[in-house]
Amino acid sequence: MTLRPYLTAFGLQWKIGLRYRIAVVAGLVAQMWFGAVTLMAYASVYHAAPDVQAPLSLRQAMTYTWIQQSLFTLLPLGCLPAVGDAAKTGAIVYDLLRPVDMWHWWLSATLARLLGNAVPRAVLLACVAGPLAMLVGLGAWSLAPPADLTAAVLSLLSITLGALLSATIVMWWNILTARTLSPLGSYAVGTPLAVLLSGMLLPLPLYPDWIRPFLLAQPFAGITDIPIRIYLGTPIPGGVATGLGLQLFWLTTLTLLGRLWMRQTVNRLEVQGA
Amino acid sequence: MQHPFPVPDAITVKNLRKTYTVREGGSWRGKTREIVALDGISFSVPKGQIAGFIGPNGAGKSTAIKILSGILRPTSGEVQVNGLVPWTSRVAHVARIGVVFGQRTQLWWDLSVGEGLALLRDIYGVEPERFARNRARLADALDLGEIMDQSVRQLSLGQRMRAEIAASLIHDPDILILDEPTIGLDAPSKLAVRAFVHELCRDHGTTVLLTTHDMHDIEALAERVIVIGHGRILADSPFEDLRMTTLSERILELDFHGTPPELALPAGAVETARAPHSLTITFDPRQIPAPALVAHVGHLPGLDDLRISRPSIDEIITRFYADHAA
Repeated sequence: MTLRPYLTAFGLQWKIGLRYRIAVVAGLVAQMWFGAVTLMAYASVYHAAPDVQAPLSLRQAMTYTWIQQSLFTLLPLGCLPAVGDAAKTGAIVYDLLRPVDMWHWWLSATLARLLGNAVPRAVLLACVAGPLAMLVGLGAWSLAPPADLTAAVLSLLSITLGALLSATIVMWWNILTARTLSPLGSYAVGTPLAVLLSGMLLPLPLYPDWIRPFLLAQPFAGITDIPIRIYLGTPIPGGVATGLGLQLFWLTTLTLLGRLWMRQTVNRLEVQGA
Repeated sequence: MQHPFPVPDAITVKNLRKTYTVREGGSWRGKTREIVALDGISFSVPKGQIAGFIGPNGAGKSTAIKILSGILRPTSGEVQVNGLVPWTSRVAHVARIGVVFGQRTQLWWDLSVGEGLALLRDIYGVEPERFARNRARLADALDLGEIMDQSVRQLSLGQRMRAEIAASLIHDPDILILDEPTIGLDAPSKLAVRAFVHELCRDHGTTVLLTTHDMHDIEALAERVIVIGHGRILADSPFEDLRMTTLSERILELDFHGTPPELALPAGAVETARAPHSLTITFDPRQIPAPALVAHVGHLPGLDDLRISRPSIDEIITRFYADHAA
């Protein structure tokens, strides 16, 4: 197997992601706004109950929120737009006409699209919410640096796994789109699941005790929640190794099952016609 | 790749059958019904031939094209394209064919034509020198010079179709499958596409399978026409044979400067229309040869002009479909 077609697919989507510079700025403004509103809500809640021992300190909750906001476009909100368009127009037959492995072909494009969207936004927002906020005297509301050097390195490794995991979940949305010939279902299912279960709406460590183990064990926690916990240095039940292990487990499981589902879907397209 | 034995036919199809199962009423428990799209068709296309594939909507053309492209699996039957069974060795098969679906685009809306071609070079693993050669040749033959750097989104339909054809040929496929390549094109673009396909077949020996609803494509290109209807092959012959067996009649039009006179016509000729200054006569050249008929009417008083024409290819096909209830 030669890697070139997959690298090409990656390069293409990366380029398309970077092409929409206005969207990056608009996204930045929206995410700053949501971040600021969330922070104010946390501040009032934490100050109203100063005696409660929360799993995250107010500073940690703020940093958690800023990182979540900066990684919003990394979440698996729905299918890859190119797959959605191809399904609607019927151009999906051309994907079957390429001498490539469809899973890897779509996965490289998906990963590139997620990174092409997320990396510029994340870097920009981190700069604004971190050093820039500190410089203008908003240090108390800013994005704090990682707990220590180990946390920095491990969280970088963890967010890489998180990006791969997110791309793999998007592959499931892509397959769903290819089966239903419409991208709408993937967004209807994907957006609420991803926003709720990744900790975007409310950090997963802040949920009630009894539900937390389940929230940590589900695949969406591996996208941003586990990397952020490692970054903050907050304890993960079972340690950092469990966190990384869970990410690897879901990555492997969803890839194996996803490839099976893909093969079955391609078979069905070949039998019933695309 | 060297074949241990000669491969005379590029495409061989035997007893190809395809049925779809559809759910009636759309409910979960609805009864299922079988629809027969292809009901046992057989044909073969030798290397380097242009074969036209025609038939009314829903006749089974698209199904056959999709099976030959390797993206649809038949219910039963045998197919070999370049010695490969398309649906069992999809990846190897699709690397050696080029396909253009006229109503869909294979180029990338966000990229320029040139970038799209470069992308296809990487997908098909075309070596740099061969790519440069093919790109220059296709740009020249399909007049892509001006649009090479434009994004596909901005192209007119005619420009896009020329780019699509270039995209399908960048990897030198042995077989080119064109599904309605001239749909929606203006006359100059249609002529350009036809001329190009003709040269491709002549200069490169590419086998071309063409489906179209534009009978002029068939007349201009196809050495052979396969007519399909109700999932069966209704005719498989050079187009002239189809004309002879279906609608061999000719039409003689006569213009007069006064009222046309009453005529006694020889056997095989009938008056089919009468206007204040003209007459239309339909005749069968096997019963009454055109020179004899012209001699018969040539001395009529007041005759200004006369023209002989054949029915258009559209009329022939319409008659053929009607005869076969297709």
